[in-house]
Amino acid sequence: MSNPTWQSPEAQKRLAKRHAAERRFKALGLGAVVLSVAFLALLLVIMLKNGLGGLDWSFLSGADSTNPDIAGVWGAAKGSLLTMLVTLLLAFPMGVLAAIYLEEFAPRNKWIDIVEVSINNLAAVPSIIFGLLGLAVFINTLHLPRSSPMVGGLTLALMTMPVIVISGRNAIKAVPPSIREAAYGIGASKVQTTFHHVLPLALPGILTGTIIGMARALGETAPLLMIGMRAFVATPPGGVTDPSSVLPMQIFLWSDEIDKGFVQNTSAAIIVLLVFLLAMNGLAIYLRNKFEVRW
Amino acid sequence: MILTGILLAVVGLGLIGWFVGRGRARLLYDGRGSMHSMPNYHGWHLALWIVVPALVVWAVWSGIQPGLVEGALLADPAASALPDNAMHRSAIISQAYLLANDPGAAVFASEAQALAAPLRAIITRFSLIGALLVAIVAFTGGAYGFTRIRARFEARTQVERVVMGVLLLASLMAILTTFGIVASLVFEAGLFFKDVSPIVFLTGTHWSPGNAMGADIDENFGAVPLFWGTIYIGAIIAMAVAIPLGLMSAVYLTQYASRRVRKWLKPILEILAGIPTVVYGYFAALTVAPMIRDFAASMGADNPSTESALAAGLVMGVMIIPFVSSMADDALAAVPRAMSDGSLALGATRSETIKKVLLPAALPGIVAGVMLAISRAIGETMIVVMAAGAAANLSANPLDSMTTVTFQIVQLLTGDQEFNSPKTLSAFALGLILFIVTLVLNIIALRVVKRFREAYE
Repeated sequence: MSNPTWQSPEAQKRLAKRHAAERRFKALGLGAVVLSVAFLALLLVIMLKNGLGGLDWSFLSGADSTNPDIAGVWGAAKGSLLTMLVTLLLAFPMGVLAAIYLEEFAPRNKWIDIVEVSINNLAAVPSIIFGLLGLAVFINTLHLPRSSPMVGGLTLALMTMPVIVISGRNAIKAVPPSIREAAYGIGASKVQTTFHHVLPLALPGILTGTIIGMARALGETAPLLMIGMRAFVATPPGGVTDPSSVLPMQIFLWSDEIDKGFVQNTSAAIIVLLVFLLAMNGLAIYLRNKFEVRW
Repeated sequence: MILTGILLAVVGLGLIGWFVGRGRARLLYDGRGSMHSMPNYHGWHLALWIVVPALVVWAVWSGIQPGLVEGALLADPAASALPDNAMHRSAIISQAYLLANDPGAAVFASEAQALAAPLRAIITRFSLIGALLVAIVAFTGGAYGFTRIRARFEARTQVERVVMGVLLLASLMAILTTFGIVASLVFEAGLFFKDVSPIVFLTGTHWSPGNAMGADIDENFGAVPLFWGTIYIGAIIAMAVAIPLGLMSAVYLTQYASRRVRKWLKPILEILAGIPTVVYGYFAALTVAPMIRDFAASMGADNPSTESALAAGLVMGVMIIPFVSSMADDALAAVPRAMSDGSLALGATRSETIKKVLLPAALPGIVAGVMLAISRAIGETMIVVMAAGAAANLSANPLDSMTTVTFQIVQLLTGDQEFNSPKTLSAFALGLILFIVTLVLNIIALRVVKRFREAYE
């Protein structure tokens, strides 16, 4: 027998109490997770219940209207696509090039520190501030067309670029030095090493980060409110300079309508938006699992 | 239109230059080690000499062409018939532009019809001059680049220098954006503070920018109710939801859950962070707010509002859960394994170890994470726009309607389009304060995280 005091009733009781506390704590943790997931489930179920009935071809192919029965989501979806195109074309090259410079070439000095600090801070600046920037610079100073996908795309590109830079740097950092040394060893220059060897290996990681950043931009509403993308647009935009709406903005506008028919439309538009986001995030996860190399 | 065509032509010329340069360099190849750079680099070098100067000229020209066209149009005999009234005149001219670009366009000013034909001729003339200039520059640059193709010419060094320049420019974009934000906010807020004293703005308790007129303009720009609403919703209610749930989720997922459960639950939890805020806002307005109103009514509150701080704060808290959880996760993971192993070896149970060893050791990291979460919550816009309401109440009752800084920014800038009124400018002042507060929170939090990591390394 071990220490006899362990067998005493008091010690047993104390032990039981401690074990009960242990179980309670564990249950509390599980409860927190379950509660959070339950909230997510509730949100999705309510949106599906309200919106599924409204999802038909005329909804998916129509543009906005004052009549909830013929209002559709394609006008806003096309606006979103054009806006995302502008964002991608600007933010992706800029972000990747900046990440390459900061990770591979930048000298360690005060200037580069300032660049790094400003990138990290930009990633945490509230999105509405970017909207104020877009309003002050693109609309009031440069006089670009209001509520157009071009201005929306520019604004969101400024917001997305820091995300791409940060994920890009992490992906480039993950490429082991031996790759670079092997390239130097056979006579490649620093630029050749980076663009021929490091960048291709880091690309899956960069793409994953880019897709996640783009998904965030796709769901963003506040900065676009600032640059006036809340106009009622009954025809899908023909180009990046036409007035247009975007999916989240359409949701916001419909949620404000008094007509009961718009409740279904709003929820259906939310389903469309969530499907897009899910597809993008799924693609990001797929890319990560398929191409990510563990060194 | 012609300008876009020129752009495409320049790119096409660059492409041809690339092939020509590479082909020329290949002819020079004369056995191993005879050339400094590979033929591709000669191609790039030539292409850059064609494209870069041409693009610079193109950009300058498209900047000055509208001014030149305008000048030529006013000097044109057809313009002598224009009225002297400046506003009327510019309306006709802009109509003429529409017609010149698209002859079928519907216009209401008959004078514009007469202007359209000469205007089109002027635009074509200046565009052709521009095209010619760009072509001359492109060919001159190309010719110079071509003469430099030699076996010993260091084309690669030159091209790489350009690549470095491009990389540097891209990384400077971040500074430029930061500078743009600060400059535009400070400039517009400065205009606002010319009319309204900053002290009144920061300490006044009455907010109704709609009535702001004339001499007592100060009276209506007291932003304290906004700050209070922001703090109450974002930093108190939302955190009361997010901190316990986020922290306990992190504890459960890192300390108790099996690897398989963790692998499934963590991404599901992260979906919460990926849902657009407008969806949360709609959910708050459609489901949560009526629920809270009914609950308040059943508790005996008379005439409860559908727009309550509680609804916005609760939903915002749920949105922040994954953020707090992943920050707490990192903080817990940074605590050395030996500390919790030591506690367990002394006979403490897991929950005792977590409460007495892990959490205190991870506290700085968790606090930093909470600060980041607060900075995110106070900058959040759509949830409060859709669920919190517009009334600037200075109240501690969570069932009251309250307004926030972000809500007011949206409200002030989406109404009328008149830009230089104190009403719209005050939005930039609010934006400036929001920017400064989130910045300070972030900088402190990142410092704490960094120091905390170093302490355990």
